[in-house]
Amino acid sequence: MGRLATDIGGTFTDLVYFEEASGELKTAKSLTTPGDLTEGVFDTIASAGLAPEAIAFFVHGGTTVINAITERKGARTALLTTAGFRDVLEIARGNRPDLYNLRFEKERPFVPRLLRFEVGERLDALGNVLLPLEMRDLDAAVARCEEEQVEALAVLFLHSYVNPVHEAQAAAYLREKLPRVAVTASHEITREWREYERASTTVLNAYVQPIVERYFERLEGALAGRGIDCPLFAMQSNGGTTSFGWAKAHPVTLIESGPAAGCNGAAIAGEVCGEPSVIYLDIGGTTAKCSTIEDARPRVTTEYRLEYSRTQFGYPLRIPVVDIVEIGAGGGSIAWFDQAGLLKVGPASAGADPGPACYGRGGTEPTVTDAKLVAGVLNPENFAGGRVKLDAGRARAAMQKIADGLGTSIEAAAVAIMRTVNANMINALKLVSIQRGHDPRDFALVVGGGGGAMHGAALGRELGVKEIIVPLYPGLFSAWGMLATEPRCDLMQTALVRADEVSAREVRDRFDELTAEAERYFEDFQSNDGIALRFETSVDLRYLGQEHSVTVPVAPEAAEMDQILADFHAAHQRQYTFRLDDTPVEFVTYRLTAVANVARPRLRALNGQGRSLERAEKPPRDIDFVDDGRHTARVFDRNRLPAEAVIDGPLVIEEPTATTVVHPDQRLRVDAQGFLRITEGAERGGAPE
Amino acid sequence: MRQDPTIRDFQTDSVTREIIRGKLLAVADEMGVVLKRSSMSPVIYEVLDFACGFCDANGDLVAQMNGITVFTGAFSIQVNVIRRKFADQLRPGDIYMLNNPFDGGTHYNDVGIVKPIFVDGELFAFAISISHWTDVGGKAPGSLPADATEIYQEGICFPGVVLFKEGVRQDAIFDMVEANVRIPKMALGDLNASLASVRIADKRCQELCGKYGKDAVAETFRHTLESSERVSRAAVAALPDGVYEAKDWIDGDGISEERFPTRVAVRIEGEEMTFDFTGSCAQLAGPVNCTRSALVASVKTVFKAIVDPQTPSNEGWFRPMKVVAPEGTVFTAERPAPVGWYYEGTAQASELAWKALASIAPERMSAGSANSLCVTVLGGIDRARENEPWVMIEPSMVGWGAIDERDGNCVTSAIPNGDTFNYSVELLEAKFPVRVREYALNTEYGVGAGRHRGGYGSIREYEVLADDTVLSASYGRSVERPWGMADGEEGSCNFFDLHLDQDTQRKSRAPTTLMQRGDRIRMVTGGGGGHGDPFERPAALVADEVRAGYLTAAQARDDYGVVIRADGREIDQAETERLRTGVAR
Repeated sequence: MGRLATDIGGTFTDLVYFEEASGELKTAKSLTTPGDLTEGVFDTIASAGLAPEAIAFFVHGGTTVINAITERKGARTALLTTAGFRDVLEIARGNRPDLYNLRFEKERPFVPRLLRFEVGERLDALGNVLLPLEMRDLDAAVARCEEEQVEALAVLFLHSYVNPVHEAQAAAYLREKLPRVAVTASHEITREWREYERASTTVLNAYVQPIVERYFERLEGALAGRGIDCPLFAMQSNGGTTSFGWAKAHPVTLIESGPAAGCNGAAIAGEVCGEPSVIYLDIGGTTAKCSTIEDARPRVTTEYRLEYSRTQFGYPLRIPVVDIVEIGAGGGSIAWFDQAGLLKVGPASAGADPGPACYGRGGTEPTVTDAKLVAGVLNPENFAGGRVKLDAGRARAAMQKIADGLGTSIEAAAVAIMRTVNANMINALKLVSIQRGHDPRDFALVVGGGGGAMHGAALGRELGVKEIIVPLYPGLFSAWGMLATEPRCDLMQTALVRADEVSAREVRDRFDELTAEAERYFEDFQSNDGIALRFETSVDLRYLGQEHSVTVPVAPEAAEMDQILADFHAAHQRQYTFRLDDTPVEFVTYRLTAVANVARPRLRALNGQGRSLERAEKPPRDIDFVDDGRHTARVFDRNRLPAEAVIDGPLVIEEPTATTVVHPDQRLRVDAQGFLRITEGAERGGAPE
Repeated sequence: MRQDPTIRDFQTDSVTREIIRGKLLAVADEMGVVLKRSSMSPVIYEVLDFACGFCDANGDLVAQMNGITVFTGAFSIQVNVIRRKFADQLRPGDIYMLNNPFDGGTHYNDVGIVKPIFVDGELFAFAISISHWTDVGGKAPGSLPADATEIYQEGICFPGVVLFKEGVRQDAIFDMVEANVRIPKMALGDLNASLASVRIADKRCQELCGKYGKDAVAETFRHTLESSERVSRAAVAALPDGVYEAKDWIDGDGISEERFPTRVAVRIEGEEMTFDFTGSCAQLAGPVNCTRSALVASVKTVFKAIVDPQTPSNEGWFRPMKVVAPEGTVFTAERPAPVGWYYEGTAQASELAWKALASIAPERMSAGSANSLCVTVLGGIDRARENEPWVMIEPSMVGWGAIDERDGNCVTSAIPNGDTFNYSVELLEAKFPVRVREYALNTEYGVGAGRHRGGYGSIREYEVLADDTVLSASYGRSVERPWGMADGEEGSCNFFDLHLDQDTQRKSRAPTTLMQRGDRIRMVTGGGGGHGDPFERPAALVADEVRAGYLTAAQARDDYGVVIRADGREIDQAETERLRTGVAR
């Protein structure tokens, strides 16, 4: 019996299986099947040779949600609002982060004005009903939805975060009248105030709901059809998992599932290597994602904004999401010339279908993967475990266009592409590190994804990190991270009360309610009997008059008012340099995170059998190291490298799902668990092997 | 590491400098986060009417957060007021406060907090934050009476005073604040937040110098300024030498409804650019004047837009820029002129410069916007909430002009206001005795037509829920419409309708006016100017906008030459063809 994680990326579908009894890991990778994504999942299960009854736990993540949104391929979505407020999405917050750019472009709304409908109803800020829900307006909206062939509908009424009565009533009515339309009411997805932010979140949920619902239903059916009837979990953006049923109703919470799993994996990898401060870089087929992890915990925020940058506000999503930055640069990224004749790489990607030219599946555009093949970095016989033979002839043919444009050789064109894509990735890495005030020299770089290990050494060198860590199965890293992920729910309840009117008893009661809610949430899981739940509890407090609050951990059973207040004053002073002892304090929000304990797969030390440098070494090959020149590099098979081996670059380490490159003057050490650790300065590092 | 050959004698490698520069930006951002999150007034934590920055020992700005550009543009000027006034009396632990518009400031509400930072006992840098206080006393709640005739009606002045001397709190100043403002709790709360922001900057600066050495940090300051200056000079040199002029009107000053002429002549000579406002009208009786410091700050915004909009700003960029204007104009008002609504003057100055340069840098520009902050102030006593005094000050967002490749932005903050936010309706109703009846695109009065049309302004209607609510409001660009570009049409104007009891008045400026429960104000902001010939706008797009309710069929016909059939959907191709190719408009 064991645990299975599958992760669908833009290009590959990955599988990692952990056999509970033996501690053995099995892996598989296959091309993503965009026509029917479930096919790719079953391809991996078949190629890992897993029997259905061996699977006791199934966790699943993927890019379905983010792809539908970034490619603007979601459902035809309408928005229903309180009368007078239908333009809330287009008005947004009116801010202009690109301060000096008079040609700044504001985000375009996901719902066009044609599909924005209004209904008479109104509450006040305390949740009192001022105007009843106007049923005739609802009927008119139903008619318009039918006429316009709307597939999804978001409902946003003012002050529903305090009192959802009208929203709930409207949603029930609309679901009845429009059975084929996916309806999301704002209070079902977030209970925070600010109508624009809630509208944005709700609309994005509606926008992807029909797609995700169809997909999960197909997957559930297919799993059952193959005799896999264990509990099914979906990876969420908050770094935890949830049930399929919950995921279908709250699909937008899956938006960053892959990166969230990767961040978990990176935090664990850092911990194992004694590096609590980690910059995580995941390079897939279509995008590169990065994140900084401090104190071995990925940062989770509800301030996530899709497509945010320093000059672009993006689209707010008020759901808990790991803090990551994403750019359109991956193995499938296509090289092209802009109007000024400058070489660009991405964001357009050849994806999985047709894929890079060298896959021989009909792609003719030159991609990063083609460049890597031409430069000798990739071994044509070793890609995806040798199951995809790379065609160097096709890669060179595609590269010709770039060589012509630059007036150089095909080899030089490949180097130009690698240099350009590295520069894009460096910028993203700087955004999460240097520009947030971190010094990369205090961090280790953990790389994952199919391309991470290939780019890591060059990027890490330029960024100046302490060391570069290539974990086990970097090509399957998100899936690996998912195995270690626990079912989790984040609950909160806002209750604005002055501290002098709150008793310790009340604090305990509030947390009891939240605990009960969490237990109900976990009851819905078709899960192992008697999951042990772990709780983290905290309260947001502020000085009366402030809007923003400070979160203070509180242990409910031992709650003492004096202690809570003392902790708050101290935390406020720590964060904001001052405390206001004479100003009344206000309780704002009670927060509870419930996590179902699942044992982490324990990493075993590398088995010494059959491992030695001699056995691992393969014939050398000529490789272009871009800024570090062309060299004949030693080549090793990772699966035969022994623990504590130390080798100096230039060299290449091959494994079925990744290729690690070590540049000249860098040193590689294989640690006890088999992680590859790359540091600068081969010449200073003692006697060479 | 390779050194930049054009910049002299730097010891620090370029990677370290880049890391330090990144950290300085992060410090400025953190100052902003601390100020926003610890503040007690909605205009700061929700609208973000503030900015924070970090200057070197000479007072030159080296890093700023995204914030109000008129504030960031005034940072160096303000810090230099403190440097000049206190010269060798500056000590570690000192913190200063200033808001004098006639000496470095903007208006009394914008209070600057300056902390000199010492490293190893030597003056090393300055941290500054400027934030808009909700009320600083004076004639009306919010301190912005639209009919002020003297600055003394606009509240209390802090002409560069010491708040902390070597760490010791100067209680007298705090007492003065408390005794002169309408909502002391809020003012002192915001003062605390500002103090926190400059203190965190000091702490981070010490850490930075501890880690990299103060020489490396100082070199980074110098390199940042010098490299920016160099890029800036090259950008100006690339523009054709010449004199570029623009004229405009100020539509009333709050006292009179007269229109007042303004003008600028921009001279480009080699690497330098001079903005000469000579010939603009004399300072006005009403509070739409600005002072020289605000003028310079407002010109900086447009200058940066021309030379390099996106690289982080600092004082180096502005070294090739000069501003000329005689004393005593609407842009260089002198005491005791009222300046409460100074941002109307600065909006005007920015837009003059923008208009003058539009022809030589069209790739950096857009058509005109309904460029005014359109500020509304409501306040009084909230009897439903323990008789708490309340003041709500709110800038409105406006429609922006189109550009050569796309339509203008809808409902976006005006040029002086940068990265500020509108009030969330839900938050506003929870904090103030006001009900929002509508917040929608202003399709009623429309935008400038064009191949690319201007962006829409907004309509926002409030019903006041408390008796004896005091209103003052002042909207610019209420007569002179936003300009179009390349045959695009002019946009629409800003105004508000005031419904008092049975009476309705359309206005653009309201002196202190009493409103009673149930009275309403409907605030309408204009649409931006269009770009290109409206007859070249794709007919299908025009038809879509008719269906979506942006345009009426009549507007489609009159403005775009697109005829929609009676079903409201189909285009009458023949008739459209006839209109579009036939008679000249």
